[in-house]
Amino acid sequence: MKKKLSVLLAMSVICVAVLAGCGKSEGPKTINDTKKEETKGSGKLAEKQEMTFILNNEPDTIDPNVTSNSFAVPFLVNCFEGLVTYNEEGEIEPGNAEEWKSNEDLTVWTFQLRDGLKWSDGSALTAKDYVYSALRVLTPETTGQYVNMISDYVVNAQEYYDGKVSAEEVGIKAVNDTTLEFTLKAPCPYFVDLVSMWVYFPVQEATIAANGDKWVTKAESYVGNGPFKITEMKTGESMTLEKNENYWGADDVTLEKLTYRYILDTSTSLTAYEGGEVDGVRTVPSSDIARMKAEDTGFKTAPSYGTVYYNFNCSVAPYDNVLVRKALNLAVDRKELINNVAQVDGTPAYSFMAPGYVVDGKDVTEGRSDFDLSETADVEAAKAALAEAGYPNGEGFPVVKLSYYSDDNVKKIAEAIKEMWETNLGIKVEVSSAEWAVFYDAVQSGNYEVAAMGWSADYVNPMSFLPLLYTNDVTNNAFYSNPEYDALVDQIKVEKDSAKFANLVLQADELVSADYPVLGLYYKSNTYLLKDYIEGVYMTSSANIYFKNAKVMEH
Amino acid sequence: MDKKWDMLPSSNEDREKIWAKNRTFAGDVWFRFRHKPTAIGGLVMIVILLLFAFLGPLFTNYSYSTQKLAAVNIPPIMKVYERPDGEGYLHITQGLKLLEVNEDGTLGAQLEKVREESADSMTIYECGGEEVALYYGGSPYVVADPESGVIYPSKTLWNKSYILGTDSLGRDILTRLMYGTRISLMVAFVAAAVNMVIGILFGGIAGYAGGTVDAVMMRIVDIISTIPLTLYVILIMVFLGSGLQSIIIALGTVYWVDMARVVRGQVLSLKAQEFVLAAKTIGSSTKTILFQHLIPNAMGAILVTVTMLIPSAIFMEAFLGYLGIGLQPPLASLGTMCNDASETLRSCPHQLLFPALVICLIMFSFNFVGDGLRDALDPKLKK
Repeated sequence: MKKKLSVLLAMSVICVAVLAGCGKSEGPKTINDTKKEETKGSGKLAEKQEMTFILNNEPDTIDPNVTSNSFAVPFLVNCFEGLVTYNEEGEIEPGNAEEWKSNEDLTVWTFQLRDGLKWSDGSALTAKDYVYSALRVLTPETTGQYVNMISDYVVNAQEYYDGKVSAEEVGIKAVNDTTLEFTLKAPCPYFVDLVSMWVYFPVQEATIAANGDKWVTKAESYVGNGPFKITEMKTGESMTLEKNENYWGADDVTLEKLTYRYILDTSTSLTAYEGGEVDGVRTVPSSDIARMKAEDTGFKTAPSYGTVYYNFNCSVAPYDNVLVRKALNLAVDRKELINNVAQVDGTPAYSFMAPGYVVDGKDVTEGRSDFDLSETADVEAAKAALAEAGYPNGEGFPVVKLSYYSDDNVKKIAEAIKEMWETNLGIKVEVSSAEWAVFYDAVQSGNYEVAAMGWSADYVNPMSFLPLLYTNDVTNNAFYSNPEYDALVDQIKVEKDSAKFANLVLQADELVSADYPVLGLYYKSNTYLLKDYIEGVYMTSSANIYFKNAKVMEH
Repeated sequence: MDKKWDMLPSSNEDREKIWAKNRTFAGDVWFRFRHKPTAIGGLVMIVILLLFAFLGPLFTNYSYSTQKLAAVNIPPIMKVYERPDGEGYLHITQGLKLLEVNEDGTLGAQLEKVREESADSMTIYECGGEEVALYYGGSPYVVADPESGVIYPSKTLWNKSYILGTDSLGRDILTRLMYGTRISLMVAFVAAAVNMVIGILFGGIAGYAGGTVDAVMMRIVDIISTIPLTLYVILIMVFLGSGLQSIIIALGTVYWVDMARVVRGQVLSLKAQEFVLAAKTIGSSTKTILFQHLIPNAMGAILVTVTMLIPSAIFMEAFLGYLGIGLQPPLASLGTMCNDASETLRSCPHQLLFPALVICLIMFSFNFVGDGLRDALDPKLKK
């Protein structure tokens, strides 16, 4: 009897659920009836200047000298400050350095530090700390992932890394306590952009001498010089940041307490956000972006200086054939990918270089050719290009091995591209996935055919992109080589005149993208969620999120 | 005169005759099995699932990999708004786009976006020469006339193009379910067959040989059962690459340990009985004794173990698929379908509901059948 009852109960629950879905609904008549009541803040500061922000990935380390991991950014840019930093408009502004100048041929850069700079523990911060930090990066034992951002530019840095010269000979000198001087190997017009990267941030010698590599694992030993300092670390759970009274601009910092909570699952964090439990979320699940955007509940979009693209391995057949790459490029419907598959805020990409670098009020990529590509697929042209390459209707074309890394969105895009290539070109595609580390290793060693990739600029300058296709550069995972392009990049590197620089960049881009070395998909934008009552938080196009101007308003 | 008080004729035959209905062992088991409603229900369900998985794809218009990107994340029951020109309906997709729906509930094309009027929280689409507005300023989102703001009449419609809706790449969920069920069942049956062969042989030999051989063989079983299966599967994937064969190999090489233990136990207790002694006396070979005498007698326990093992193999496959180790897309198993759906769980719960429901059904059916078989095979429960 009991059994029958429970069966009956289960059936009735199902019936109710099904019936509830059917039937005509007596809804509102005009859109005015559906409008939600708007709540306006009073425009006054809230009493408690505290907020909680969810991070969806844990960084490998939060040592600015070591990591290149973008997940560490929320800590690095808020607990530290370099010589220069970015303002809300994404422009360089003075940080620890008050002013800077270079010599005539842009090889010697002198930075004048502010007076009375202090570490978060109250001790004095001098130019010597900057020298110590840079030399620490240049020590192989530090395993700095961005070491080439110093060693490629500074005189004798590579030699010091290789153990050939002593520390005194490296081109980074503390002239006095507040003057720092960099001597470069070659003229570098964008050196100020470079020093904004966290690999150039100072770290304190005392705490590292006392704690070794463990200095980043305890709140007390994690000494910084930024607007905030960490006061509590719960690994894998949360990190608490509090205002750093010793920061030079502490008077302008309103936020007292900032808690980062780790919730790795993006749907869970969205629930917490919508439930009002937290004030912001770093990553928005893509299937909810349209809804979050529409409902206007704090969905923030920041322009990003980055491109999502697929790498062709240009060193292996048949991808060494430009016609094959062109055909594969033409057969992809980017509009569908952006709107229906990835459902992201993005614009179709036909080149590897994203727009976003402005010279004299004009984006350097303005007026760029579209390389015969359009936002929808051009099946006829794609087939023609493939036939011209010797594979009419895809006959005789080897099975394409498309690899991607484990990520929901990346997977969806890979599956959609597979289907597009198979139906539009009549070729066979095999997809395979791996964890990021394994995948990236294979890509770097050239052990792939077509691979899902992307690039976000480390600093806002086209030079962050150009080496991606420079012959034998470590980041050239497409194994593409074009002497003409290399020559242009060499020229760009030392060009001092900004107008000429912009011109050369466009020229290089047009030259190389007409060769279709990559399959551009879209230029991304950074998205995050932040309640409307929090003001002053900003994100730069390299995805640095700054909380130093944050204010919690009454709500 | 009747001879009521005469003795009945009595022959030896009559006296020896068993008057109760005589049934063979199999018939007896079947009799008891079919009198258990849950067991018979489970069996019927398995047959239906088999038909669904193997014959179903003949009746759908889609393959498991056909994508229609204009119709991603469409639910089975759609809320639709009447078109201003009266030629069908419009459905608001999860990605906030308008999709044409015909009178009969089949899907049409996506409407072209004309412009965005973010100040009024409206997106304007072009629909048969007229403009319609998707208004997202309130809840729920509605389709309205952009000028007057009057909401078009709405109703709910069954999705006739995709009976169970589409997934995040616009693939038919029903078709993918069929293929998913097929793969899950296939994994289960292959794993069960492999387990039966290895488990029976291993357990039989260990049990019959006894002594040191038994001790060594059972320690091997212990060692294998202590290795976590997930770890083991990942290692196999590294060597063989991910795919169906890796899952089957992984399940096949690990899951037999339970079977071996059961068979060993049965053989241990059976081999001490007189009929084995008799067989030994007349000089039967070990092989004959094992396969002619011992295993058939242990068959009841073996069958029960197998039917219990199938659902756990299916569940393991689904679990591995859910973790993302397993089949390569676009192949679908029930587990990978659940995994794909978990990302869109908030906006499209139907994508998770259906594969999860089928997993439940499979688990239930096999467990019921296993239960029924166990009871039917157990002579102690004989009525």
